[in-house]
Amino acid sequence: MSFDVSRRVFLRGAGLAAVGVGIAPSSLLVRTALAASGSKVLVKVFLRGGADGLNLCAPYGDSEYYNLRRGIGLPRPGQGGGVIDLDGYFGMHPEFAPLEPFFRDGRLAFVHAVGNPQVTRSHFDAQDFQESGTPGDKQTGTGWLDRAIAQIPGSEVTQAVSFSSQLVRSLLGPEPVLVAQTLTSFDLRARNWRNEAEALLTAMYQSDATKVGSTGLETFEAINTLRRAPTPPPANGAQYPSGNTGNALRQAAGLIKSGVGTRCIYVNVSGGFDTHSNQLQNNINDYRPLGLALAAFATDLGGVLDDVTLMVTTEFGRTAAVNGAAGTDHGTGYAMMLLGGRVRGGRVLGRWPGLSRGQLYQNRDLAATTDFRDVFQEVARAQFGISASLFPDYTPGAGVGVA
Amino acid sequence: MPPETLGPRVAQHLLNRAGYGPRPGEIAGVLDRGPTKWIEEQLEPGPDPELDTRLAAYPAIAYPISQVLDLYKADSRTTGVILDQFFSAKVVRAVHARNQLQEVLVDFWFNHFNVFVNDGFDRYSISSYERDAIRPHVLGRFRELLGAVTLHPAMLYYLDNYLNTIPRKQGGREVGGINENHGRELLELHTVGVDAGYTQTDVVEASRCLTGHGIFNIGSAGSYRYSPALHDNDAKQVFGLSLPGGGGESDIERLLDYLAVHPATARFISRRLAQRFVADDPPEALVSRLADVFLRSDGDLREVTKALFGSAEFWAEAFGAGKPRTSFEYVIGTLRAAGAEVRNALAARVAIRDSGMPLYACNPPTGYSNRGADWLNPSAQLYRMNFGLDLAAGAVAGVTADIRGLIQSGGGDPNDPSSSAEAINRVVFGRTLTPASLAAAGRVTSSSGVPVAARVAGLLFAGPEMQVR
Repeated sequence: MSFDVSRRVFLRGAGLAAVGVGIAPSSLLVRTALAASGSKVLVKVFLRGGADGLNLCAPYGDSEYYNLRRGIGLPRPGQGGGVIDLDGYFGMHPEFAPLEPFFRDGRLAFVHAVGNPQVTRSHFDAQDFQESGTPGDKQTGTGWLDRAIAQIPGSEVTQAVSFSSQLVRSLLGPEPVLVAQTLTSFDLRARNWRNEAEALLTAMYQSDATKVGSTGLETFEAINTLRRAPTPPPANGAQYPSGNTGNALRQAAGLIKSGVGTRCIYVNVSGGFDTHSNQLQNNINDYRPLGLALAAFATDLGGVLDDVTLMVTTEFGRTAAVNGAAGTDHGTGYAMMLLGGRVRGGRVLGRWPGLSRGQLYQNRDLAATTDFRDVFQEVARAQFGISASLFPDYTPGAGVGVA
Repeated sequence: MPPETLGPRVAQHLLNRAGYGPRPGEIAGVLDRGPTKWIEEQLEPGPDPELDTRLAAYPAIAYPISQVLDLYKADSRTTGVILDQFFSAKVVRAVHARNQLQEVLVDFWFNHFNVFVNDGFDRYSISSYERDAIRPHVLGRFRELLGAVTLHPAMLYYLDNYLNTIPRKQGGREVGGINENHGRELLELHTVGVDAGYTQTDVVEASRCLTGHGIFNIGSAGSYRYSPALHDNDAKQVFGLSLPGGGGESDIERLLDYLAVHPATARFISRRLAQRFVADDPPEALVSRLADVFLRSDGDLREVTKALFGSAEFWAEAFGAGKPRTSFEYVIGTLRAAGAEVRNALAARVAIRDSGMPLYACNPPTGYSNRGADWLNPSAQLYRMNFGLDLAAGAVAGVTADIRGLIQSGGGDPNDPSSSAEAINRVVFGRTLTPASLAAAGRVTSSSGVPVAARVAGLLFAGPEMQVR
């Protein structure tokens, strides 16, 4: 649970100091970054609702865990329904069994006690702070991933793809984003006059100078990109579960393999993570398809997984103690998962703050010991070669040594 | 007050914002009678026998919760049929109701006090929630609306309050306890808003007021019940309100009395309304004036809504770039523009769902965004364009639209592209189509299959002007 600051990360951190914060990187730096980052892809999976880190990556070795979690604590490894041991102290939720091989071979890592330094227990503020990357400031006009994409060359609409029903806050801003729930049959439906309709509608949207016009043009650009490069089917025997998460990750892998230049993918997961009641069953309902989908994604990509880092995150953790309804209320520190060929995995990273009374935040929540921005920047640095801070008025540290 | 000089653009603006957009003939109707009269009628909804006839096809929307549960127990498949009627009735009302403002307000207030249809017990109670807690109060007092939603079983379930109790001993071990979910959202989303300055302690105290308010026999009656034994009867302090011990079930009533007329609530509600009806980022001066009306009228929502339509800021928007429509507003607005008759709403519901706004299925308690800009994205745009093209081509199942009749009603020739486009511009766009759109529509050919009228209407339904209101 100690920091593992590799020489690689340390050197990058030293470079960061020279660049400084708030200064746009020179084109030289961007080119250097590109050479290092190649065509790497960052995938962000957001578990909306405040996923409970203490049952996602359970500290079964902390004696307080079972006192606090009476009735909803996950059994120790080896017991019925017990967690899958990770390092003799933490265990991952048993529904993540399909991911065990990736942890064992070092391609899956957990980071524990991650959080937002401006603690809020409002879902909506916490999501806003995390996705804008500006805790405490709701007025930020861009999302952190929009600012990241702005630093990599290219402006194709398929460079950033969000599998969500709406544009997500992380990608809010001037960079184009393809927001889609499904990319199958992504074409205009005008039988017998498709090309005429496309040409005339394009002319109409071209003359609209507002966001409506630019969104229309992005739509036609996406249609044409996807028509040129059909996405390949799952490979290596990967079996995606049915449902939104499986569908999104299947299409994400297809996009990465199709070579259309997608560098950033966002997968929005709106399940039952807000477990105010009946937490054990709700977690099973959510973590089963998530574990299966992540394992299928990694299997499907095969060697291409070396170019990909996928991060699973949420807006806050939950109360350390069970509430009156076999659930937990809104809390603070949470656990992240990172999956990818170059992830320095097989470990649980971050500093564990402990669960005893004096160690909890406000005597109720797992404290946050790692600022989420440090991990986000670390991943962006590894995948996009971005050293300048992506976070206004904040200089991220070296990270936790995961990417 | 509406502008002195009325033109079709102003009439279209009113129909777009206070309703779901003009049907053929309605722009002329507003211009004939004047917008003030139209607004007065909308603020006092009268009978709508034609809509009643259409809704007779959906008898399940009148079922009480206990009946829905009984039918479910007899045959679990019945629930799907009941929900199908409930969803379809929303589309039919929005497309065909004369009292357009009432339908928009039901949608707005449901969304403000959102519950989620795919959440257990809410599958059986959501229809009652809209019918009994939302619909009767949208032009009434905010306090009555707030009281009805707070203690409706659908809300008590959705925000877990049926499990929120005082911790107590049972057989030697402690059971139950505070569940903060409802208490928090009551403050954050339903009344004073997240920036009002309340604390975590206030959330817990509000939750204590709510203890014991639950659901009686969730499997068969499903009705509201207060259980004194589960209520925390000690004194409470919530966000400046002191409640002495022994208040029992009156604790929550007193808290709602207090919150319903709190200045922070007045501002929060006024901002939400201005955001829905005026602009994504509404002018502060307008929000302040509406909040004043809210406080002076003791939270009379008819007065606040009326003040909204009397504001210069509302009418100035007629000359702006327009507010992007939500997916629901786009699909309904396009059906109305086509003069469509909806006999089966399924295809329209699928289009609304595919463009990102499944009916009654917004999972988080925030509800769907009232900001138009949040609904602009390529995937939604593609589904919308395809719906517009399909509608004009007569390819939306269960829906009939007489496109040639629409063009002829505007004095156009359905076989002539430019004449057709000009006619549709007059009849349902209030002459807001840009020269570029009219020119594009004027260039359609009749090379194969699809008639000129369907092509012109398809382009205009799929085009940029239809995406905004």
